[in-house]
Amino acid sequence: MAVYERAWRPYAGRLTPMRRRFLVVTRYALAEAFSSRLFTAFYAACFLPSLLALFLIYISHNLALLEQLGLTREFMGGLTLVFFRLLFLWQAIPGFFLMAILAPGLIAPDLANSALPLYLSRPIDRRDYVLGKLAALFLVVSPPTWVMGLALFLLQAVEEGGGWGVTNWRIGLAYLVGHLVWILVISLLGLAISAWVRYRPAALGALFALLFVLSAFGSAVNGITRSSIGDIVHLTRAIASVVQHLFGAPTSSGLPVAVNWLTLAVVGLLSIVVLNRKLRAHEVVR
Amino acid sequence: MKTGPPSPAAVVELDGLSVRLGGRPVLSDLHASLAGRAIGLLGPNGAGKTTLLRTLLDFFHPSAGGARVLGQEITGNGKELRSRVGYMPESDAFIAGQTAVRFVRLMAELSGLPPRAALERAHETLFYVGLGEARYRRIGTFSTGMKQMVKLAQALAHGPRLLMLDEPTNGLDPPARSRMLELIRDIRDRGETHILLSSHLLADVESVCDEVLILKQGRVAACCNLTEQRRANRSFVELELTSAAPGFGEALAGLGCEVALAGERRLKLVMPPAVAVRDLFQVAARQQVAIRRLDCKRDSLQDIFLRAMEDDRGGV
Repeated sequence: MAVYERAWRPYAGRLTPMRRRFLVVTRYALAEAFSSRLFTAFYAACFLPSLLALFLIYISHNLALLEQLGLTREFMGGLTLVFFRLLFLWQAIPGFFLMAILAPGLIAPDLANSALPLYLSRPIDRRDYVLGKLAALFLVVSPPTWVMGLALFLLQAVEEGGGWGVTNWRIGLAYLVGHLVWILVISLLGLAISAWVRYRPAALGALFALLFVLSAFGSAVNGITRSSIGDIVHLTRAIASVVQHLFGAPTSSGLPVAVNWLTLAVVGLLSIVVLNRKLRAHEVVR
Repeated sequence: MKTGPPSPAAVVELDGLSVRLGGRPVLSDLHASLAGRAIGLLGPNGAGKTTLLRTLLDFFHPSAGGARVLGQEITGNGKELRSRVGYMPESDAFIAGQTAVRFVRLMAELSGLPPRAALERAHETLFYVGLGEARYRRIGTFSTGMKQMVKLAQALAHGPRLLMLDEPTNGLDPPARSRMLELIRDIRDRGETHILLSSHLLADVESVCDEVLILKQGRVAACCNLTEQRRANRSFVELELTSAAPGFGEALAGLGCEVALAGERRLKLVMPPAVAVRDLFQVAARQQVAIRRLDCKRDSLQDIFLRAMEDDRGGV
């Protein structure tokens, strides 16, 4: 029967499990993001640092190719901790821009068009909604960052052999935990700003402004007080220090790493508080 | 905040429900048991109709008392309850940049339909509400009437057992309003879905609903079954004769009617249940009295509403 000949009728088929319902939000958010060709092209470009690193790992273990190129195995000083720290940075920067492009557009349009009552009149709650949006960010940013990073670490460990992987376990840990931490913090911050500002371009601007303003403020406090106390609000430095600590390298912050962790935790918690206050089916005017 | 034992037939039960928002009471001690196929929520602006709907959807938590929808407590069962309910909000609400079919499909999937079934139902529902030809257009380009219809479609797509409609005819021109009411009546008459219609338009509620809850300043001003009310009011009859007939009133009283003369040729009577209009004509024929006009008067919803606004003791 043609669809236009059918009348409306109650639904009697099977239902999807309630606990996986948030993934509907994720799927639609991903589809929306990748509907833009520009975004898709940028996303593909985010894999370039990892692909370049893959090429370097490959040729550094291919003696025949090195000979043909007239290079020795030490042509880049070996695949050391520094190489993987640099790769982390070159994965994190495009990853951050991915998030900055995506996060402000996840919640702001829903709030601007009063779509939240529609979502929340369904069998999902605010937690599912945020989880769905967070999962979308996580699924987009993970492949070009920690997934590729861990894959390259494992490839290097296999190619190098001789217990390289065990000796350099901190690299694997740093890729997994470091990327996950900054992805979670920036995702929450991006969603909170998106919920607060409600206008996509303004939310994008606010995210950058917040990061740069906080960093500038932190640096200014450091300069005035001639101490490192300003690093408490220096979000980018806090992230960098936590990652450096995970790599086992000296940190760029003058504060103990525990304080940097605390800064990230506070930012994450504040973002959750903002989301909790702003994401309501209906605002109550006092 | 548990309420008493659920009434099996009740669609919505309010048991001392009170809601405070922003520190002030919006709903106060609501008691009602509504079992109609189509229930109207009436009241002037600010009476608390929309707040009641939102509370029943578990958007707001009761400050006292409780409520049941389709036999389930609203507190603590929000998700399960909302999977059986369709909600059409009053204000514009859509997801930016989406086509109608994608929007309705998303809403159906959120209610638990698998993607394929949701897509099929989205198409069906959009055809049903008359947006079949516009289903691939972005909702942002729709007129007000079309936006109202797409809101109805998303509320219907998952086949809810209870459809909550908040001012569904807002902003509609007369033909669109008529089409909307026709659709609501059609859904009601299919018998699978209960309707809870909030409106301040008496005519809309009267044309669709068989039961009505009237709110005034957050309290129940009246709660009545319109079908029974209409049936009960059939017994009020006003007669006008072509000429004076002094014995006619007595003959009608002989049938058991309460008769009051309203002039030489006009009578008002209340018929007992056993007496039908046909009996009046038979008496008139026997007495050779010609009836010029006969009105079976009934209370209109407007009468009920106005009485409730004057006297909010509850229970018309």
